[in-house]
Amino acid sequence: MALQESLRVSLTPPELELIACQQPIEIVPLISMERTAFISGAYGPLRPPHKATVPIWMALNLKSKKKCHIVAPEWLNVEFLQDRLGRETSQPGFSDLPFRFAEVSKVLLDVASDDLENPDKIRSLLKNLREARQAKCRDGLGTLDHSELSLPNLCSMEINEIRPFFVQSMHLLTQLQRQPPTAP
Amino acid sequence: MDQDYFSVDSILAANQKVQCVFKQDLPNLGHLGGGSDRDIAALSKIQLPLWLALIIIYSDWADFNIPTAFGPRVRNALKAEARSVRLASLVGAGGLWYGFGKAIVDILADEQANEISEVLTKTFRARLVEIIDQAQHFAALGPVGAAGSSGDTAQLFREGLDATERELFSLAQESAKRTKRWYEESDRPKR
Repeated sequence: MALQESLRVSLTPPELELIACQQPIEIVPLISMERTAFISGAYGPLRPPHKATVPIWMALNLKSKKKCHIVAPEWLNVEFLQDRLGRETSQPGFSDLPFRFAEVSKVLLDVASDDLENPDKIRSLLKNLREARQAKCRDGLGTLDHSELSLPNLCSMEINEIRPFFVQSMHLLTQLQRQPPTAP
Repeated sequence: MDQDYFSVDSILAANQKVQCVFKQDLPNLGHLGGGSDRDIAALSKIQLPLWLALIIIYSDWADFNIPTAFGPRVRNALKAEARSVRLASLVGAGGLWYGFGKAIVDILADEQANEISEVLTKTFRARLVEIIDQAQHFAALGPVGAAGSSGDTAQLFREGLDATERELFSLAQESAKRTKRWYEESDRPKR
């Protein structure tokens, strides 16, 4: 109970980012390296100009030393995001995006924006996506009841953002409801 | 709100007073009402805190009236527009309107209890979206802008939040703030 309230109820965004950075990503190395053992596993060998798959944290590290180019994931480009934004605004449900797209796209845009095509356009698309999805979360709040809530395709960052107060309000509703309606 | 023994909220909620009407003479119990009388006469009305009233009601010494915070006037107001009722002023400073209501529901008979429980649930739902909206709005404003902007209705609504709603408000605000900070900042040097 010594943890502060905000840390007790959910993870922090940087923690989520850390988790997301365990995911593999393709890079084009500029240096060669033998297969090397790390605590989380063995990666490599790196043989330019062949592509290699390494965790994102390693790709970011190499990238910041200018020792690789990062190959953008297939969903991180203008056409794909534009398509999803179109669906997001025209359909009631959340559109289908990778679970940790917010974290991955942010770190890639921060560190490797020169490996992406048209990073500014991607940034603004991601922002629009986020806003459209937030509006839907808000609508979900209106239909909240004490027992369940189904928001498919919500991504980890969004879940984390709404978790504290969704959980608390569902808890309250459970308390206030005298006889929870039995299952139909 | 919980019935947990250690829950400070539920202790505070049970500290609200209800009006009890005694059914019979109770000799030597005048101190319950805090007055100087030695005895309690039948049909006398005394305001007792809920935790004390509970045992007296169960012993069948008294009946209690539904507190005005849940009376017909408030209910009608809530039905008309839940967001314009100032729950905090119904139950006093730091009041736990929902907690108090829950405690009342627990001692009432079925029909009345269901009614109040429904009022509580509906009110909570109707106000929830507005609470979260405002919380996120304030999270987005940051520390500086918060003081200046005050839509009158919005401000009145915030002042009328009951303690449980306040807690929700701050939860939502904190979480929105943290997420926003993460989206906007980066510890990596930008290229």
